[in-house]
Amino acid sequence: MRALFLIALLITAPARAADDDAAALGLADKTVTQAEQARDWHMFSEAAWSVSTLRTAGAAQQLERLSFGVAYDKAFAPGWRAIFSDRLDTRWQQEPSSQDNINTLQDAYVSWQVQPDRIGDLGRINTRYGVAYGYNPTDYFRTSAVRSTVSSDPASQRENRLGSVMARGQILWADGSLTALYSPRLTGHRNTSAFSPDFGATNGSERWLLAASQRISHQLAPQLLVLGAAGEPLQFGVNLTALLNDATVANLELSAGRSASLLTRALSLPADTALRSRLASGITYTTSSKLSLTLEYEYNGTALDRDGWDALGRGSLVAYGRYRGYAADVQDPPTQHRVFLRAFWQDAWFNHFDLTANVFVDAVDRSRQCWVEARYHWTQIDVALQWQHNDGALRSQYGSLPERRIWQALARYFF
Amino acid sequence: MCEQALGVARRVAPLLHITFAALVALACAVAEPAAAAPTAQAILSASDAIRNPDKPFGLTVTLVEYRDGKQTDTNTLAVYSKADPNSGQFRSLIRFVAPARDANKLMLKSGNDLWFFDPASKASIRLSPQQRLLGQAANGDVVTVNLARDYQAQLVAEEDTQDGERQSRRCYKLALAEVSPDVTYHHIEMWIAVADNRPVKARFYSESDRLLKTAYYRRYQAQLGIERPTEMVIIDGLNPQWVTVMRYSDFAWRDISEQWLQRDYLPRFRPE
Repeated sequence: MRALFLIALLITAPARAADDDAAALGLADKTVTQAEQARDWHMFSEAAWSVSTLRTAGAAQQLERLSFGVAYDKAFAPGWRAIFSDRLDTRWQQEPSSQDNINTLQDAYVSWQVQPDRIGDLGRINTRYGVAYGYNPTDYFRTSAVRSTVSSDPASQRENRLGSVMARGQILWADGSLTALYSPRLTGHRNTSAFSPDFGATNGSERWLLAASQRISHQLAPQLLVLGAAGEPLQFGVNLTALLNDATVANLELSAGRSASLLTRALSLPADTALRSRLASGITYTTSSKLSLTLEYEYNGTALDRDGWDALGRGSLVAYGRYRGYAADVQDPPTQHRVFLRAFWQDAWFNHFDLTANVFVDAVDRSRQCWVEARYHWTQIDVALQWQHNDGALRSQYGSLPERRIWQALARYFF
Repeated sequence: MCEQALGVARRVAPLLHITFAALVALACAVAEPAAAAPTAQAILSASDAIRNPDKPFGLTVTLVEYRDGKQTDTNTLAVYSKADPNSGQFRSLIRFVAPARDANKLMLKSGNDLWFFDPASKASIRLSPQQRLLGQAANGDVVTVNLARDYQAQLVAEEDTQDGERQSRRCYKLALAEVSPDVTYHHIEMWIAVADNRPVKARFYSESDRLLKTAYYRRYQAQLGIERPTEMVIIDGLNPQWVTVMRYSDFAWRDISEQWLQRDYLPRFRPE
């Protein structure tokens, strides 16, 4: 009986294929397209509601947030472009009741393409380097750039941050480029008021950077960086990606140079300058079922090792707090070893439904942070539900965070 | 090997030259049918030349996706493409125009070297070919690709087949076998019109002989000097209810600097 069914299936297969093709061509006949034109500006608005379970006696905290973002990119003369992007986050908190606004001026600069292979930029630029997912040691301009954290997803923190004021030039050649930038010191004073451009956060010291890229083969495209900062030794960076096979990409991101430890910088102790390195390296594998898995190892040679971290945890709460605050501000892990896992499943279970999971595991104190997002999108609206769980011993990296668990629901509208 | 060499020569030749060569071939075929019959590789090269302009160009691609007969997605992309002078394969800079969620995101495709740039996070992410296959962009693979470079063609039959306009058309049926390990599709069946070398239909297969896609090339219009297909209808091999209609518009010759076709230029790419 089964054999008969298979034979029937084989006999009718060409006819069914012809029917499928005819149906598809029929759909195409009825398709009406309206060629969309590129716009100079894009905006979004996002409303979010979150509830956090705090560590202190299981207390809960509710927060509402409304965010508004705008991006503008206009070619106003041959070779000239004006670029502007900004985001405003307004939060309302209950018990104690409060409201605060934080504006983040991400980009505001002009760009001049002098020749096809020579480009100059001037203004506030959110410039980013690095190929890793969870930690970017060569993203040198990340320091103090985040004013408003709306999610623990590393991608969100890279997105919602201040640019630095700089002059930047780039020369391109076939398969390579050289970028040079200079970022001056403007002021040493941080300004946390709602609508301040906060130049003290991003231009508190004079810095320059050189970045050179050269594609060696289709598989290998390294980038070398040199960072100079007033009163600081040079830092050298490497970004490397390689295509291992059709489904796997490997990356290596390394920054090294003489520098003081995170602890001495955080507590303003006498500098213990030595050669130190920071690294993030991982692989991303994508299955045929639209699931991408990333495993990344992260090392911060300027942070505390196990003994130092244990000692800090047992010591003064003030010193511990200052260290954690400083590490968060410069976006460095507070301990030396960390593992990051990321899973992204596009069109999971059904079309337009994406699942993302991030897991950070501190390999020094074994604390963990899990973040999971389920997101569904229509043409102009996204809705998402996020869940975060911080787990670990008291004064561990994640166990010491005030929130044990966070639920956040959000809706974003794209104009 | 000779067929390959001929294919390369035909591909890089200006279109007028190809047209002239085709006329000469046709004239010879009338005089000496057996000796001057076009080789399978030459037919494929001539078909490539119809799909792929021979100079750097730009166009707008509108993709409309259907599942189970219902429209589920619409995307608009601005594409700049240029052939590699060495390999002959196309390198493309792609900017997402719509929907608003994806607007201004960018992609660079140069063989298997794939980079994605998100202007919001400023992140340049290298993609594996498998990641590329996930999205609609995968369908771009069957647009600007020089098949004669990556596949060895064999003439299987000359037969009547129904084209994208549902007209019966006399076609060469070619079997294409991969010669380059980097190609997305292991082998391809392709129907090319006998009269004018227009690509009519293609079926793309995996190494395990699984049908991945069926593509119809249709709505031929005069674009950039010759009649070219301005629409592709792509039917998913696994689920024939998943259909993508790709429409091309705004064809134009573009000056695309060789220096632009790299990761570091991606954030700066802004189509006219």
